[in-house]
Amino acid sequence: MKNALKVVVAGEVDAGKSTLIGRLLYDTDSLHKTAMEEIFQASRINGNILEFAYLLDGLEEERRGQLTIDTTQAFCRNAKSGFWFIDVPGHAELLKNMLCGSSYSQAAILVTDATKSLEDGTIRHINVLKFLGIEQIVVVLNKLDILNFSKDAFERAKGEISALFDTIGIKTKYFIPVSARQGDNLAKKSAKTPWYKGPSLISVLCSLEGINKSEKKRGFYFPIQDVYLRKGESVFVGTILSGKIRRKEAVYVSPEGKADKIKAIRVFGRNKLSAEAPESIGLELARGGSFGRGQIISKDGEFSASVEITAKILCVHSINPQDKLFFSCATQQTLCSIKQINKFFSISAGVISDSKASLDKEDVAEVLITVQEPVVVKRFCQVEALGRFVLRKDREIVAAGIIT
Amino acid sequence: MENSAYLDELESKSINIIREAYWQYKEKMAVLWSMGKDSTALVRLVRKAFLGEVPVSFIHIDTTFKFKQIYAFRDKYAKKWGINLIIVKNTAALAGGISSDQDKFNCCDSLKTKTLKTAIEKFGFKVLLLAIRRDEHLIRAKERYFSQRDKEFKWDYNDQPLEMWAQYYKTEHEEGGHLRVHPMLHWREIDIWKYIKRERLPVIDLYFAKNNKRYRSIGCQCCCSPVESSADSIDKIIRELKVSRVAERSGRAQDKEKEYMMQKLRSLGYM
Repeated sequence: MKNALKVVVAGEVDAGKSTLIGRLLYDTDSLHKTAMEEIFQASRINGNILEFAYLLDGLEEERRGQLTIDTTQAFCRNAKSGFWFIDVPGHAELLKNMLCGSSYSQAAILVTDATKSLEDGTIRHINVLKFLGIEQIVVVLNKLDILNFSKDAFERAKGEISALFDTIGIKTKYFIPVSARQGDNLAKKSAKTPWYKGPSLISVLCSLEGINKSEKKRGFYFPIQDVYLRKGESVFVGTILSGKIRRKEAVYVSPEGKADKIKAIRVFGRNKLSAEAPESIGLELARGGSFGRGQIISKDGEFSASVEITAKILCVHSINPQDKLFFSCATQQTLCSIKQINKFFSISAGVISDSKASLDKEDVAEVLITVQEPVVVKRFCQVEALGRFVLRKDREIVAAGIIT
Repeated sequence: MENSAYLDELESKSINIIREAYWQYKEKMAVLWSMGKDSTALVRLVRKAFLGEVPVSFIHIDTTFKFKQIYAFRDKYAKKWGINLIIVKNTAALAGGISSDQDKFNCCDSLKTKTLKTAIEKFGFKVLLLAIRRDEHLIRAKERYFSQRDKEFKWDYNDQPLEMWAQYYKTEHEEGGHLRVHPMLHWREIDIWKYIKRERLPVIDLYFAKNNKRYRSIGCQCCCSPVESSADSIDKIIRELKVSRVAERSGRAQDKEKEYMMQKLRSLGYM
């Protein structure tokens, strides 16, 4: 059994995201009897007939207001390993909750309301998915029941999204005509859309890829999380980001690049001969030294430390270049400042401009960051976990970053 | 070994979170242990995270209404595993004759939440590790891995901090408040049982069916009822969970006393 695929369900307010997940859970027999009784009950109290969204929107405020406030996850059973559906809010002011949920995901379902023309929230969410590098996107054109399952209406809505995807640079094969409330083309093909020749949503999801297997094949990178003293020995504990390590192998401790050798790979109650991503282990080094959190053990001797980083950032709060910011990448943390803002656009407007003095919430910008202490980073396409970072201000994450 | 890589991944993530919280808070961190299946799995993860030498305390919130098997299990394994266990009770409320017969909300709030409040003030804990999971309850599914509570214990579920890539958290606690850390948020009920099997963990026998009834979730004897089941072994429980349509906490009174009871309890600091 593999780990279940994590799928974020994105889209504008009221496009039907929570309803779609709730309906899928219902159609795949993923619900407990009590969950069903509870929604029958709650739907009556709140004056609705049957509200599938209640299966996700558990907060009183969410049910009364009929909106999703915070992200949540629900497990969907199927014949294989199942899926975790991640529900996120559509409201612009809830961007941080949307980003939180999306950052866990490996694939996305973009839900759009086919009765309306392209909405701002849809554009905003597409830009967030693009920023995060989520490439597996399935577009669901919802509320086809209101449009009498008309092929023309579907084609019109599909045309708008396709044009937008072309501009942003997203490729997708899947556009599915759906009624989330009635369950058409979700768990199985619907008889109401005989003109639609493609697969149902569940069969598309089954064909998507899960965990990036190549992480294991890449170079070994191990950020030190903490140092424990065990029987007089320093044990460097942490989680392997990528690759594999064997006992007695030569390693380097960066950013200094000090050469060393693995003396022991420790886990609870025993030593191991080898370990690979994503294990959490402890390492003893032959020479050792006063290493600590933030340093990175790897087999890469050419690995150079950076003091200047060019990256793409997405702001969840406004940022002034004068702000005191912290840069965090894996377990590395250091003061930093934004030296230059090269290009930017707002995720809702999408128009690229050349420069700007400060950044606002929702801005995506290409920036030059200088860090106070040298850090070890990689490009996102080389080692994902060393190619992404966050910027913090007053303890809060104010921006997420990707090194391209 | 069954599902080894899959369980390894769940385990590794939990260990990473436990170590992250400890790095920040050291001995100001404590683990809540109710002796149930989930928190017993959490005890295992904590022992693994610290390579067997656990530098933090464990807390048992004793309502005195627990099943007698729970107490026997606690005493046996606290000793066997060398756990530094702090047992806390709300003696004043108990002396006043509180019970779930009158008001379940008040009983849970007094004997669990208020007891915990007193304990963390007394011992100065700033971080509590809890074994809650997303698939247990809709409200628990809304949680973050690192979740702030203010000094009144309140949970501001309308404004939770951003967590990115399940790697960057807000690990600071608020002035006067504390931090709840949920290393097992991503586990499912069936995963817990697979892990119990793989790690050969002991569990209280109330989980196994007798006379076609078993407990899916255990707590106070007065507020737990068993579910119909013939699963009298770990393997049978795993098989049952693959097809069961009964909710895990369907036998727990505090979850459904009235609509949103769990949300209200949790917003006041319930576990």
